[in-house]
Amino acid sequence: MSDIKKENLPPGVVLRDHVYDGIYEYDQKLPNWWLYTLYGAIIFTVLYWFYFFSTQVGKSDEQRLTSLLQEVRAIQMANSMDDLTDDLLWEMSRNPQWVEAGRKTFMTNCATCHGHNLEGGIGVKLSDDEWLHGGNPLAVRHTITNGVLEKGMQNWGPVLGDKKIAELTAFIMSHHQPPAQ
Amino acid sequence: MNAATSATRTEKITITYDDAIVRMFMTAAIVWGLVGMSAGVFIASQLNWWQANFDIPWLTFGRLRPLHTNAAIFAFVGNMMFAGIYYSTQRLCKCRLASDLLSRIHFWGWQAIIVSAAITLPLGFSRGKEYAELIWPINIAVAAIWVIFAVNFFWTLAKRNEPTLYVAIWFYIATIVTVAMLYIVNHLSLPTSLLHSYPIFGGVQDALVQWWYGHNAVAFFLTTPILGIMYYFVPKAAERPVYSYRLSIIHFWSLVFVYIWAGPHHLMNTALPPWLQGLGMLFSLMLWAPSWGGMLNGLLTLRGAWDKLRTDPVIKFFAAGVTFYGMATFEGPLLAIKSVNALSHYTDWTIGHVHSGTLGWNGFMAAGMFYWLAPRLWGTKLYSTRLANYHFWIGLVGIMLYIGAMWVTGITQGMMLNAVDKQTGLLAYPKFIETLLTILPVMTARAIGGALYVFGFILLAYNIWKTARSGKAVNGTAEVVKVVLEESEYDLRAKGGLWSAPVVYSLVGVFFMTMWFLGRDAVMLTGVIGTALTVLIAIAHFEIGGKKWSQWYEALLANAMPFTVLTFVAAAIGGAIQIIPTVIIQRADNIEDRIQVVYTPLELCGRDIYIREGCYNCHSQMIRTFVPDVMRYGDYSRIGESIYDHPFQWGSKRTGPDLARVGGKYNHLWHFQHMENPRSTSPGSNMPNYPWLLESKTDYNVLPARIRALRTLGVPFPEMNNEEILAQARAQAEKIAEELAAGEGGIEHDPHTEIIALIAYLQQLGKHEKITSTLAENR
Repeated sequence: MSDIKKENLPPGVVLRDHVYDGIYEYDQKLPNWWLYTLYGAIIFTVLYWFYFFSTQVGKSDEQRLTSLLQEVRAIQMANSMDDLTDDLLWEMSRNPQWVEAGRKTFMTNCATCHGHNLEGGIGVKLSDDEWLHGGNPLAVRHTITNGVLEKGMQNWGPVLGDKKIAELTAFIMSHHQPPAQ
Repeated sequence: MNAATSATRTEKITITYDDAIVRMFMTAAIVWGLVGMSAGVFIASQLNWWQANFDIPWLTFGRLRPLHTNAAIFAFVGNMMFAGIYYSTQRLCKCRLASDLLSRIHFWGWQAIIVSAAITLPLGFSRGKEYAELIWPINIAVAAIWVIFAVNFFWTLAKRNEPTLYVAIWFYIATIVTVAMLYIVNHLSLPTSLLHSYPIFGGVQDALVQWWYGHNAVAFFLTTPILGIMYYFVPKAAERPVYSYRLSIIHFWSLVFVYIWAGPHHLMNTALPPWLQGLGMLFSLMLWAPSWGGMLNGLLTLRGAWDKLRTDPVIKFFAAGVTFYGMATFEGPLLAIKSVNALSHYTDWTIGHVHSGTLGWNGFMAAGMFYWLAPRLWGTKLYSTRLANYHFWIGLVGIMLYIGAMWVTGITQGMMLNAVDKQTGLLAYPKFIETLLTILPVMTARAIGGALYVFGFILLAYNIWKTARSGKAVNGTAEVVKVVLEESEYDLRAKGGLWSAPVVYSLVGVFFMTMWFLGRDAVMLTGVIGTALTVLIAIAHFEIGGKKWSQWYEALLANAMPFTVLTFVAAAIGGAIQIIPTVIIQRADNIEDRIQVVYTPLELCGRDIYIREGCYNCHSQMIRTFVPDVMRYGDYSRIGESIYDHPFQWGSKRTGPDLARVGGKYNHLWHFQHMENPRSTSPGSNMPNYPWLLESKTDYNVLPARIRALRTLGVPFPEMNNEEILAQARAQAEKIAEELAAGEGGIEHDPHTEIIALIAYLQQLGKHEKITSTLAENR
C-alpha cells in the first residue's frame, strides 16, 4: 500500500492518519441510499408499533385467525347443504358470513312484512320465542321454503333456492339461543 | 508497561509473534471443517434415503444433526475464528499474545470439548435445545475455556504497543463479551445426574431465552468475529485502505445494539406474546442497514483491487464471502416479516438461508483467510493457485445448488402446506406426506451441492498441506517502538471516557423507548414524548458540537476497558428488556385460557427419550395462529400448554408434521408400528426406524431425581416418594401394554420397554386443563 499518500487522494476523500499494521482507513461519507434504508426501517418500526401495539388499531393474530377460520368454515358449510341439520344451522347462525348474507336477503325480501328488526308487522314477530310452525332451525327453514299460504306467506323455495334460505335461517336464528347442551 | 519512570520515553524492541498457535487453530479448523461438513452431507442424504440411518441409534438423523450443527459452528468456525483473531490481534496490538500457556490451554481445551461433543451427541446425551445440546459438564468446560480465551485476549490488549484499537478489535471484543453472556444464560441448568440436567427455564421463557441465544450465536459467533477478520484480512489482501471509518463506527454500534433484539423472529406467529413477536420482526428489519454497512465496507475496500479478482483466489473468496453476507443479511429481515415467515418457517427455506451464511460467508471467508495465511505461516508460496481456483468454482456451484434447491423445496412445501381449496374450504394437500414426496427429488440437489462443497474443501486441505510441507513454520516478527507511558497517562487508559454525550443520549433514549414499548397510557405517552425529545436534542447537539463527539470516540479507542463495558451494555440491553419481564411474570399470568397437565412419571420418561432421539429436529410442537395450521393440526397452541416443559420443544423445522396435539389422534398400535417402521403406517415417510426402542428396557430409576429437579424448578408434580414414582410408572406402562394387546391385531409387548414410555408421552401431547377466569385469578 505504498502508493497511498494524502496528496494523491481525489478531492473530498479523507485518509486517516493512523495506520494499523499497514492498514489505512479512508473516512468516506455514508452512502445516502444506505442511510435512507436505515431511516426507513426506523420510521416503519415507529408506525407499525403505533398501529398494532400503542393504539391497537391493527387486529391481533387471534382476531385475524378467528375471522379467517369463520370464512373457511362458511365455505365448508356451503358444501354441506345436502344434509342440513339443526346443529349445522345453529353453527351457521353463529358464523358472521352466513348471518350477513342472510341479513341482506332478509332486508330485501322479508323486512316489509316481518320488520327490519324482526319485530313483526303484517307478518309475525320473529325475535321472540313464540313459534307458530316450529322454532328449531330445520322447521324455520321448512316454513320459509314452503310458505304458509293460508296466512299470506309465500313459498320462497323456488324464488331464493336452498343456499339463500339456509343463510336466511342462519340470520333469523342468530337472534335466538341454541338449546343448552 | 511499567510506569516506573515519570517521563514518557520510548525504546525500540523486536517482537516475535506466536504464530504456532495460529497454525494449530487453522489446522484444527480444516480438520473439523471436513468432519462437520461431511456430517452435513451424510444427514442430508438420510433425508432422501432413510435407509442411510442403518437402524443404528448413533447414526440416526435426530442424533447426528446436532453433531453437524455443533461441529460446523463451534469446531469449524470456532477454530477458524481463533486462528484469525490470534493472528490479527497480535499484529494490531504490535505485541505477542499475552500468555503462551493460556493459548495452549485454550487450544487443547477447545479440542477436548469438541471430541467430547462428538462422542456424547451420537450417544444421545442432549439438552434438547438447538446448538445448545451439549450436556452440562461440557457446558462448564466451554465457559471455562472461553474465559481463558478472554483473559488471554484482554491481557494482550493491556500489553499492546499500539495506542488505539482498530475496528477488527472492536468486533472481537463484542464477540467475547456477548457470547459469554448468551452461552451462560442459555445453559443455566439443574443437573439430575452427571450426564443429565433440565434447563431452569421452561415453556415460553425457555423458548425466548433459547432463540435470544440461537439467533445471537449467529450474530456473535458467526458474524461479528468474521467481520473483524474481514476488517483485517481484506485490506491486507487487497492492499487497499478500508473504505470508511465512520461507516465502521455506525455499523458496529448499530449492529451490536440491534442484533440482540431480533431473536423472537424465530418464534413468529407462535404462542409467544405479540409484543415480543413485534420487536423481533421490527428489529430484524432495522438490522438490514447495519448488516449491509459491513458488506459495503468490505466490498468498497476491494474497489480498486478488482483486477486481482481474476488472478488471486484469496480476493475471489473474500469478494464472494462478503457478497453472500450481504445476501444472507437481506434474506434474514425478509424472512422475519410475519407474513413471509408464515410461508417460510418450519421449511427448508430457513435451512437454505442459514447455509448461505455458513457456506457462503463463513466458509468462503475461512478459505480466503487460510489461503492468505498458509504461505505466510510457512514462509513459502501457495502450493497451487490453480487448485485454489478450482476450489472456488466447485464450492460456488455447490452453494448455488444447495441454496437453490432449498428455495425451491422450502417455498413449494410451504405453499402446499398452506394451500386451502377455495371451492371446498378444505386443505388442498391434507396429507403431510404428499408435500414431502413432492419435494424429495429436488432435495437430492441439496445433498449433491453439499458434496461438491466438501470436495472443494478437500482440495483446500490438500493445498494447504502441500504448502506447509513445501515450507517451514515461521513466526512473524516486528520492530516496535515501545512507548513507556507516564503513570497518569496509564491511569487514563484504564478509566475515563465512559460518560459522554452520545452514551447519555443512548441510555436515556433506550429508557424512554422501554417505557413506550412496555408501558400503557400515561407511561407509554411519556415514553413516546421522551424518546422523540431525546432524539431531537441529540441531533441538535450533534449538529452543534459533533466534533467533540468524534474526539471522545478517538479517546475511547485508546481505552479498552470502557470500550468493552459500553459494548457489553449495548449488547445486553435488548435481551434484558425482552427476557426479564417474561421471566419475572408469574406462571399463572403467563397463561391464556389453558394450562398444561403435569406429566406422569412414565410420560416424563417418554419425553426424555423423545429428547434423546432428537425428535425436535424434525417435529415441532407449536400450532401457529394460521388457518392451515389449525385445520391440519388442531386448535392453535396456547402459551400455557407448554409451561411445564423443561426444555420447551416448540421446534424450528417440520420435516414431519407438528405433534402438539397428536395425543389421542392414533391408537397405541399405530404408534408402536410407526416407531418400529414408519413406512408401515405412513408410506413414503423418510423417518428412521427406531427398532431399539422396542428392545431397550425403560430406565425408571432415574425418575425420582428428575422429578425432584423439576419440582425444584416449579413444576407442580404431586408429592410422591421414590417407591410411589416407580410403582406409578410401572403401573401405567402395564396398562398401556394391556391396551396395546387388546382388540384385533393387538400386539403383546414387554411393558417395561422404552417404546411404551414413548407412547405414553406421545398420547398425552396436547392434554390441557381449561382455565376459567376465576380459576386463573385464584392461582
